[in-house]
Amino acid sequence: MARTEPFQIRIADLRERYRPQREWAEGRGLLLILAHFFTGAGAGAWLFAVPLGSDTGLVAGFFLAVLGAVGHLFFLGRPERFWRMATRMGSSWISRGLVGLSLFLVTAFLYLALLFLAAHTTTLGSILLALSMLGALWTIIYKGFVWASSKGIPLWNTPLVPALYIAYALRGGAAVLILLAGLGIQLGAWEPLEPIKLWLAVSTAVLVLIYLEVMRGSGMTALRSVNLLLFGKVALPFYLGAVLLGLIVPIGIGSFAYLDHIPAGLLALVGLLSLLGDLSIIYCIARAGLYRPLPT
Amino acid sequence: MVIDLKKCIGCTGCALVCKAENATPPGILWLRVVKHETGKYPQVRRVSVPLQCMHCAEPPCMEVCPTGATFQHPNGIVDIDAELCVGCRYCMMACPYDQRFFLSAERTYFPGHTTPFEQAGYQRHQAGVVSKCNFCTPRLQRGLEPACVANCMSRARTFGDLDDSNSEVSKLIRDRAGYQLHPELGTNPSIYYLPP
Repeated sequence: MARTEPFQIRIADLRERYRPQREWAEGRGLLLILAHFFTGAGAGAWLFAVPLGSDTGLVAGFFLAVLGAVGHLFFLGRPERFWRMATRMGSSWISRGLVGLSLFLVTAFLYLALLFLAAHTTTLGSILLALSMLGALWTIIYKGFVWASSKGIPLWNTPLVPALYIAYALRGGAAVLILLAGLGIQLGAWEPLEPIKLWLAVSTAVLVLIYLEVMRGSGMTALRSVNLLLFGKVALPFYLGAVLLGLIVPIGIGSFAYLDHIPAGLLALVGLLSLLGDLSIIYCIARAGLYRPLPT
Repeated sequence: MVIDLKKCIGCTGCALVCKAENATPPGILWLRVVKHETGKYPQVRRVSVPLQCMHCAEPPCMEVCPTGATFQHPNGIVDIDAELCVGCRYCMMACPYDQRFFLSAERTYFPGHTTPFEQAGYQRHQAGVVSKCNFCTPRLQRGLEPACVANCMSRARTFGDLDDSNSEVSKLIRDRAGYQLHPELGTNPSIYYLPP
């Protein structure tokens, strides 16, 4: 007992109603948010980079996912025991996620090694690529279910959250490739991504609206959480990050791209802002999570 | 366990004795008492409600635990094996009663100083893992009641076997219309409250 830390109990934690969750949003909890963002964007980038034939996109997707995995590891209270998390695949989404992410990272690394050695067109290369895509898809899907299976937080405990996280991961993946293209370090064809990205941005905006509207009618705690997002302490990152940077600006510039050619710098900006928006929405949803009132 | 809200006077003695019995570090409250207001003016009532792990028969915390650190004893008590816990805090998000606590780092009550009580008691608590009420399992193994039950000065708490229809707890629940918190979630908590 060498270290003394300040008391972390706050007034809001001692009240009987609408107590905020802090463990997944504050302090080292921010690592979890970053980890979910990086793994989602990395896996999404990998999935888009394969059909586009973008080697740079593959490398970027892999390293983003590695960054996310490191974030996950350091978020844990006992990182040295992380391997134990693979033992409960039957019931725990974190277990399933660890297996999926491991599959993605291992097979993606081996495929990149073959790519480096120019031996990726072999049967082994095809198998590794297929497995890595399966792992990437698995990684994208599991994250939303981790949040949705949290019975304590009504804002997250809905099937809409996995749909939202999948949409944001795909959006993030497309944004990474667009960012690379804007920076001039994209080797493959990126033009098909622009309409996909715009479509993903528009559909994500619709999904966010549906999510907020559904949660407004899902009990008092969920309504309080939505009010926190729209009018409370989470409103600034929500409007500035998730809505303005993440939705309005990319949709606006993306729509303009249909009318006229946009310069590379603007393209990079669209990708960067989209990524910031993705990070913001994950943060905001985590931060607005409130526990059910006790007693009832 | 049955908690009679009519008898509870909100002295928080149970919270205090819980800390003393289990030597929980600063910031960790396995048991707390909240003040709850019911009714509308002029028919308003203020009730003290002790809250702790509900030891659900269908614990969502156990379901989401990725390592199996959260487990259920054969008698239904939900417990945590600190050696298996990785500190992912998924169980804290899954618990609808918000009764799990994460000790992020070793803490003491007095800066730069550890009392002999802390030195002895803190050996039971690892940093970086989640902990919670275990109904004083070591006391139960010695044939004693949980500390909060044994030390409740108004005898608001009754501990017993819910599966035995003739036990005192079963009778109290039956006779006094005992209720659980958030029964709609299907967790089937083992703590019942008797209305005030």
